[in-house]
Amino acid sequence: MINIFYNEWRGFLRNKLFIFFITFFIISLAVVTFFGIIQNNKQIQSQKDAHSHIRAQWDEMEDSNPHSAAHFGTYAFKANTILNSLDDGINSVTGVVLRLEGHTQNDVAFSEASQSLIISKFGKFKVSLLFQFIIPLFLIFLSFNIYTSEVASKRIKLLIIQGNSLKKIVFAKTFTLLSLGFILLLFTILIQLFFNFSEIELDQIVRLNVFFFSYLIYYFIIILFTVFLSLIFKNSTSALSLTIITWFLWTIFLPKTIGNLTENISPLSTRFELQEKMKKDRSEGIDGHNPFDERRVKLEEEVLAKYKVDSLSQLPINFSGILMQADEEYGNQVWDKHYGDLYEKLEAQKKNYQLSGFINPFASLQSLSMASAGTDLIHHLYFLNEAEKYRRYFIKTLNDEYAFGGSKTGERGWKASNDFFRSIKDFTYKEATFSSISHKYFIDIFCLLFWLFSLIGLIIFTSKRVLIE
Amino acid sequence: MIELKNIYKKFKDKVALDNLSLEVKSGEIYGLLGANGAGKSTTLNLLLGFLKPDSGFISMVDIKDGSVIKQDRLGYIPENVNLYPYLSGVENLDYFSKLAGLKFDSEQLNQFLLECGLEEEAFYKSVSEYSKGMRQKVGIAIAYAKNARVYLLDEPASGLDPLSSNELSSLLKRMSEKGATILMASHDIFRVRETCDKIGILKNGSLIKEMFSKDVSSTELESVYLDFMKN
Repeated sequence: MINIFYNEWRGFLRNKLFIFFITFFIISLAVVTFFGIIQNNKQIQSQKDAHSHIRAQWDEMEDSNPHSAAHFGTYAFKANTILNSLDDGINSVTGVVLRLEGHTQNDVAFSEASQSLIISKFGKFKVSLLFQFIIPLFLIFLSFNIYTSEVASKRIKLLIIQGNSLKKIVFAKTFTLLSLGFILLLFTILIQLFFNFSEIELDQIVRLNVFFFSYLIYYFIIILFTVFLSLIFKNSTSALSLTIITWFLWTIFLPKTIGNLTENISPLSTRFELQEKMKKDRSEGIDGHNPFDERRVKLEEEVLAKYKVDSLSQLPINFSGILMQADEEYGNQVWDKHYGDLYEKLEAQKKNYQLSGFINPFASLQSLSMASAGTDLIHHLYFLNEAEKYRRYFIKTLNDEYAFGGSKTGERGWKASNDFFRSIKDFTYKEATFSSISHKYFIDIFCLLFWLFSLIGLIIFTSKRVLIE
Repeated sequence: MIELKNIYKKFKDKVALDNLSLEVKSGEIYGLLGANGAGKSTTLNLLLGFLKPDSGFISMVDIKDGSVIKQDRLGYIPENVNLYPYLSGVENLDYFSKLAGLKFDSEQLNQFLLECGLEEEAFYKSVSEYSKGMRQKVGIAIAYAKNARVYLLDEPASGLDPLSSNELSSLLKRMSEKGATILMASHDIFRVRETCDKIGILKNGSLIKEMFSKDVSSTELESVYLDFMKN
């Protein structure tokens, strides 16, 4: 097998067209990876600067009313990680900054303004674009005739008579092409490691491995699929045509169709509908029970009883702070209900889409690619949850200060000191480690392996039955 | 030794071989003559293991040790030797030899090519610059280097000039003297008569005549062959 492998490589390296294309790919990958890293690092720095700026505003805040400060709010940054440059995923659609304030949970907004001109003009040219679309096509064009060319030249008989089974010949050639994909992937990974060496942590190494092996398996699938068709059709043109059609189905038609299908299976409310429902639940009570006015009366009674006084003015604390926190907590329940449903539906859509990996290995690859770069829906929802957790801490701290920090009910002009504002912890987002969420990608891994082993089995089966004349 | 007994092979509605029996003894060169579609290639493909007979018995045995000769111990020269165009003659020979588990140094490789009639200046040229005859010679060298006990040749002299054809005949004779069993399918009556010890004529999948080449001249063989083909 090693002789065939070596000879195939010798053939590649003596082919000027191949040398041209491989040089083109290596240069493209180097350029795209390098500029991707530069661009990503720039974004990371911009986010850090913006974050520091926002925090500085907070730290330098003059003595103010905590409730006003809650309205002033802060921002949660979904900080880019060093691997985001590999695959932009849903980041450019979802945005990366979330405004956190009292009473309301906002949607993520503000995708990188610095990128918008480039994106609108050219789209974002990421490493994943090359790896997902260009290199597989290159591999298809190299693999569609690795068997048929031997048959057409009748060299196949000579190869077999020299003691090689058809299975061995086919797999040796397949491994040659796979090694090409391996080299291109390794090259990209090494560039990533080289430029981010000082910042690489264990989680990033795990993610790079996931990225590397997902693409390697996908390339193996693409090559095996093409070779399998050429074994069946024994005709280069038919094999190539069908592979290209399948490739279009996998990369363009099926993702769109299945995407629409999953949206129909688990439909989402429109933003307007969602906001209206939340507004209604907050004022009229969840599902019409326990409206705001009743809640307020009940809370007032409880607080007065607790402090054993008859009126709010006799309270040693500020009832407004307690009321605002209670309303906030009720609002959190409303949010949990509606956004819980929404997130469940989004995850259900994602899962249904992942299941399409059984008919479309590209879906599994895309999912794992975004997952390894930390730019998929799962990571996004994790960020939203972390940001919401922080928002709750942030608002509760402000409300508690308003309620118990020294003011009394009705003292609207009361101000908390700068020391208090400084003492509020900052939002330091740390992406979920891959191992902690890896179970969400088992379907993708399983689908890719399912395709891989099915195709290996089919090729072994077919190569034993192919009639050589 | 090659033995085919009562071989019957049919492709869809066409009978390719009809009760074919022939025997090639060890050290013998057997020439199989026949028109296109007579069943020569089918016979070779059955012996090469690429086809299976519908009925009948095939055996290839090394009489030295009685072992059965399988596909990987055969030498084969096709009508059109298609080599890897990006390799030189020496590299092709080296590669195909390695595939058979044989490793030769460059001197040995050159010697094989020389014995098979390839001119020395062509050894390291890319095969894409070779004529059909030159490629054929490398193909012969690949089979020769394998030092097989049984050789199956499908129009081996195709594309060779008369001198090279003559050299091929001499080479095959030397191989048979060393005990190799050779079955050669051809249209070339003269070459078969010159090279082979025994000749069989195939027509419509049946062996209709066998003779020893020493018993007939080329002219007589041609006349016998043409008579059978016409009737």
